[in-house]
Amino acid sequence: MTIDTSQVTRRSRILRLPRSPKVIAGLFIVALFAVIAVIGGWAAPYSPNATDTQNWVQHVLVPGTGGDTGFPANYYPLPFAPSAAHWLGTTVFAQDAWSQLLASTQATMFVGLLAAAIATALSILFGVTAGYIGGGTDEGLSLVANVFLAIPGLPLLIVLADYVPSAGSSVFLVAAIIAVTTWAYSARTLRAQTLSLRNRDFVEASRVSGESRTRIILAEILPNLIPIVAASFLFTTLAATYAYVAISFLGLGGSPTGSPAGLWNWGEMLREGFANNAVRSGWWWWWAPPGIAVALLGTGLALLNFGIDEFINPRLRTAGLTARAAKKAGIRIGSGIGVTPVARITHAAPSRPAADAVLEIRGLSVDYGYGDQAVHAVMGCDLVLRRGRVLGLAGESGSGKTTLALAAIRLLRQPAVITSGQVLFHSKPFTGDGPKGTIDLLAAGLPQLREVRWSEIAVVLQSALNALNPVITIGAQFDDLLRAHRPQMSADERYARAGELLDMVGMNADRLRSYPHELSGGMRQRAMIAMALALEPQVMILDEPTTALDVVTQREILEELMGLRDRLGFAALFITHDLSLLVELADDIAVMYAGRLMERAPARSLFRAPRLPYTHGLLHCFPPMHGKRVPMEGIPGSPPDLRDLPSGCAFHPRCRWALDRCKQEVPLLGPIDGTNREVACWLHRDGAAPPPELSLPEPAAAMRHAAIQVIQP
Amino acid sequence: MRAVIRRLGVYLLAAWVAITVSFLLPRVVPGNPVAGAVARASQSGNCNQQCVMAIEEQLGYNVHTPLWDQYVQYLGNLAHGDLGHSWSENAPVGSLIVSFLPWTLVLLGVATTLSFLAGSAIGTLIAWRRGSWVELILPAATFFQSLPYFFLGLVLVLVFGQTGTMLRWFPSLFGYDIFSVTPGFNLPYIQSVISHSILPATTVILASLGGFILSIRNQVITTMDEDFVVVAQAKGLRTRTVIWYAVRNALLPVVANFTVAISLVVGGQILVEIVFNYPGIGFHLFDALSKLDYTLVQGIFVVITLVVLAANLLADVVYVALDPRARQAA
Repeated sequence: MTIDTSQVTRRSRILRLPRSPKVIAGLFIVALFAVIAVIGGWAAPYSPNATDTQNWVQHVLVPGTGGDTGFPANYYPLPFAPSAAHWLGTTVFAQDAWSQLLASTQATMFVGLLAAAIATALSILFGVTAGYIGGGTDEGLSLVANVFLAIPGLPLLIVLADYVPSAGSSVFLVAAIIAVTTWAYSARTLRAQTLSLRNRDFVEASRVSGESRTRIILAEILPNLIPIVAASFLFTTLAATYAYVAISFLGLGGSPTGSPAGLWNWGEMLREGFANNAVRSGWWWWWAPPGIAVALLGTGLALLNFGIDEFINPRLRTAGLTARAAKKAGIRIGSGIGVTPVARITHAAPSRPAADAVLEIRGLSVDYGYGDQAVHAVMGCDLVLRRGRVLGLAGESGSGKTTLALAAIRLLRQPAVITSGQVLFHSKPFTGDGPKGTIDLLAAGLPQLREVRWSEIAVVLQSALNALNPVITIGAQFDDLLRAHRPQMSADERYARAGELLDMVGMNADRLRSYPHELSGGMRQRAMIAMALALEPQVMILDEPTTALDVVTQREILEELMGLRDRLGFAALFITHDLSLLVELADDIAVMYAGRLMERAPARSLFRAPRLPYTHGLLHCFPPMHGKRVPMEGIPGSPPDLRDLPSGCAFHPRCRWALDRCKQEVPLLGPIDGTNREVACWLHRDGAAPPPELSLPEPAAAMRHAAIQVIQP
Repeated sequence: MRAVIRRLGVYLLAAWVAITVSFLLPRVVPGNPVAGAVARASQSGNCNQQCVMAIEEQLGYNVHTPLWDQYVQYLGNLAHGDLGHSWSENAPVGSLIVSFLPWTLVLLGVATTLSFLAGSAIGTLIAWRRGSWVELILPAATFFQSLPYFFLGLVLVLVFGQTGTMLRWFPSLFGYDIFSVTPGFNLPYIQSVISHSILPATTVILASLGGFILSIRNQVITTMDEDFVVVAQAKGLRTRTVIWYAVRNALLPVVANFTVAISLVVGGQILVEIVFNYPGIGFHLFDALSKLDYTLVQGIFVVITLVVLAANLLADVVYVALDPRARQAA
């Protein structure tokens, strides 16, 4: 068997730093220090050890203790404050502090980088080997790393540097000792990452195709570890620099005037200043610059690391909505927590609410991001959910179904912005204490939204494991919910009600004491549904509620859900990519593609006589179990990238009936002349002749039954 | 219980490694650095012939028993709490460390706890109010996180310390006023101890705060994108409850990574104690280093390691208490 590895996505970019002010500032700082480190030696006006004999005679001698400074025992020279001759003044020994700082920068950065290089090499060796080979090797190597991690670094470093004679005079020895105390953390991170890479498709593929272990590690694993290696190299450089400064401050880094001579470094400058009372005498120019240099270099490295973090974890990348950005994007309704911001509100009264409507979405558009970078995820969608009915919303992944539904109840996170539209909730609560009348959800503030949320509109998401708080019991989650919405209930009443709800979805009330991870996938989703029903909502938004479950559980839960709907009478917006499922469940179906609604029809009409090429393709993805054989056609190509939509009808590159017009003009959802069908397709407009597949006759009412039979297993 | 026992095994091993390193180093390093120390000890009036022999035995200098026997004896002594004899203080290292330790532990415990709590609160606030002015704290936190602890200590001495030159608000030398109060359970002593701890504690808090703020901010941001937080908002729970859901979960990885944080704080505090002449083990480590009192250095290293390992174990227990999944596995 040959495996075409080119089909397996490897990586798009190895490491691209976001071009944020943070990263630019970090690069600038680090580059500045690098330049100083390289040219500092030449640029220094004096030798760091030279005493300024010219100015020495003018030195004021004050009584004091000379110690072993080589000056008369009863006199203590005063250092010079910064001047034109000495930009950073002088030390107490009349040495030029600026020259010392330049020389120190070189040694400090050299030791920091060298130690980080050794430590990174060690951590790659340990981490990648442990993560890739696994088993006993992993156990052993991880144990070594964990032991090194547990022993406090600086004390170990002190003891090592103290016992190793002349450690201070050899920068290589110092760097090696520092590396030994700093490698473990990165090794652990790299091990974890390697472990997760090992089981990814492209690595499996190389393994199956018989590549050698070394080659896989070098060619497949390491390139993907580059962001992590880069981050840990920066982190270790920082740690090593601090360690060097710290042991030099303790006098273990080797004295530049000693024998054998150590190097000038920031820690040594701080040590000399501290030991010669520079702090209590106010000679800040002597000891403050090296300290600030450490902090600046540290800040620069940390800022670069932010950039890498944001590359690795995109959740950190999305900037918050600043007041300025909000103003620029024309956002009127503030964001706040858990409330999607709205740019423009349509205040126009709706042209008479549709009969029986409970949730009315009109011209809803949603962007991700602001200004020029905005991605239009949902464009001008109209949907009406009728009381007690099931409305299906179908489409491929990324077509904007979930965005549309969550935007309607303002649950989308930043950087989502609702750019236009109107969402009206016509409330007729089943129980007496809900809000009544029509509520404009896009104009509502958090308090008003909170009144509607869950008590009138509940949500069930795809993965119940993610939707349940993992660290508290199911019972506690019911309790939080009931306490927030039914403050008059006592603790016992809440507990009894929660048990009753679990019972309703076929679960034992004992499960209230369970944590989410103790339940099976099906049970978790049942618990979630029970929670959704807790306040007897008028609307349920079901976002792929059964997709993550196996077919049998899926069927059980759907039957349960539809039974509950018949009993309790809520309306449901059922989102799925599985059109055949909807045909069975839904009264009406809307089909979405690339952020727009493309077809809207009663379920049986849509199933029997689709008018949209896309719907036709979706319906022919699923083989019927009974009835005559039809060729499976599917839809060629893949869903479009919302950042780069095709011109005209977004579906035209994948449409086998596409006209020239489809490439230029965007079709809008509207009725087909002379019928009650609605579609957004040029094939049905202005006298174009739709192909026979898309002009099948409308089914009779009795056909619904047949449709169900086709897809029932 | 299994996970905790496993961690305990790692810590026991780490303790053994630390003890063995401090035993082996003076014995295997070429050009025995101990000789000078022993010579200095015998020259100083502090250390008589018997005391010199005790140091020689402790550091394996001039001792002719096999290494293994020395090792067994060393471990045996440790087991009895005998860490050797300090010539510079002319006292058993064990009892010296017992007198230093409370200063360090109280300062470390109070400062780390306050810093962690404040860091959690500020980090959460920044994560929650993304895009508002509180994000301006971030660059400041990054800069403070990058300041070496002892340098921050020096700056605070200069600006606020009585031995500095500017405001002279707080005492900045020693653990209490050694000239005018008597140690013991009396009000002047307690007041003096508290006022003397203000600057060192502030240093440790400010220097460690930035790291806590940044890591908790990142974790809260990551957690807030989780479905269960979206669902909590969909449930119309109070904002307070929603924040609690996110923070409670965001704390887990932070507590799990406490090993690194505690190691950094302990390392930093050692140097802070030196800056303030604060009478904890860090200051005495520095003192012992400068006097070449290797026995004391060795003892302090072993004890600091044990303290850090105990703190790690505590963090593990807290983790297990916080995460029901770990509790089940434990």
